[in-house]
Amino acid sequence: MRRFFFYLILALIFALLQTSVFPLFFSPNWRPSLILLLVLYVGLREPSLRAVVTCLFLGAIQDSFCGHSVGLYLTVYLTILLIVLGLSEQLNIESSPLLLALVVGGTLVENLLLWFYLTVLADSAPALHILLPGVPQQLIVNLLAALLLLALLARVKRLFGLRRGFTSLIVAGRAHVS
Amino acid sequence: MLDLFRRYRFLFLAVLLLLVTVILYSYNLRKKTTTTFFERAVLTFAAPFQSAIDSTSDSVKGVWSNYIWLVDTRQHNLELEKENAELRARLNQMSEYRLENERLKRLLAFVDDLDMAALPAQVVGEDASNWARTIIIDKGTSAGLKNGLAVVAADGVVGRIIKISTNSARVLLITDASSAVASLVQRTRTRGVARGRGEDLSVEYSLRSADIQAGDLLVTSGMGGIFPKGLPIGRIETVEKDQYGLFQRLSATTTVDFSHLEEVLVIVGNPL
Repeated sequence: MRRFFFYLILALIFALLQTSVFPLFFSPNWRPSLILLLVLYVGLREPSLRAVVTCLFLGAIQDSFCGHSVGLYLTVYLTILLIVLGLSEQLNIESSPLLLALVVGGTLVENLLLWFYLTVLADSAPALHILLPGVPQQLIVNLLAALLLLALLARVKRLFGLRRGFTSLIVAGRAHVS
Repeated sequence: MLDLFRRYRFLFLAVLLLLVTVILYSYNLRKKTTTTFFERAVLTFAAPFQSAIDSTSDSVKGVWSNYIWLVDTRQHNLELEKENAELRARLNQMSEYRLENERLKRLLAFVDDLDMAALPAQVVGEDASNWARTIIIDKGTSAGLKNGLAVVAADGVVGRIIKISTNSARVLLITDASSAVASLVQRTRTRGVARGRGEDLSVEYSLRSADIQAGDLLVTSGMGGIFPKGLPIGRIETVEKDQYGLFQRLSATTTVDFSHLEEVLVIVGNPL
């Protein structure tokens, strides 16, 4: 339960960053989708049931800060999470390059699903006109944000003495080199 | 007599010399601007020495005050730096107030032209996604706002409120892909629907036969009951006509610069 609330608070902080801080410095296409990164992380790290429940709340938070119809990001993030859960059983989830590959895949799938739902269900045909040019920038900023967050996570875990998951590999690797 | 002179020789010479100097002084008093040969010679001789001494003195004074006698300099420097920072901050604040004042004056002028009750609000946030175009304003139901109210800025239409809470509201911008505003080309009164495309607008359903040119002003038509009639929406940028078809393809740039939007007006009432 503690982890669940931790993810929710983190998602709220990310949402505030995305709505109030990033707009001061970056144009829309250059703002990272931090909550998507959180969804990917939850999909890799948490048991299926907890991951699904957390993802629904993360989608609802994103919906509250975005657009005008609740349910869009609930659907999109849930789809992405189910794909990640399916993949996590097949792949080595301890690998940090895998997480970066998932960020690329997640960003592409997010844009594809947004386009699909906005065009087919919401009749917002110009959405493609907005989404498509922004995909390369979204890929770059999401990758950069993921790298930064991974580095931050490794530092936090080192500070608090936690050594689990793929961040432990980064920490162990650095310790081994030094 | 000679003995007397010999006895008081020194005194006589001293008095004589004194008299000569007095006479000389008296003579020179009448010729104040004339420089005597002696004076010239002395000045000429002394000048290089004076310069040398002066420059040496300056150097010594400089070394003394700049490198040796520095008792209060650091403290003084810190105080000045602090004062400088405070003055800079105050200057920036003043500049910010001046710009805000200018923007609010323009908004007030817009309200006067509008002849409708309007409530000013600050933009406090933007959309969390990169594709939706919404903003968050700092007024909500506690200020009397409700869903569907039109939001404008000094340059034209901004959008309409789609979600509201006690102290904030979300505004769907006219550039959002799901936004459609009934519009008129001001010059020819040609009707159309301005739809958002992220950064600009496409104008749909404008008859192919209508005379529309780049640069024409697009205003609200008043249809739909959300936006009052005649508010600026954008300027026509491109006009494309196919060989066949009922409508022409138009694109327009918004009159409002959404990337620098800080204050808006929510139209809360009927015409005054």
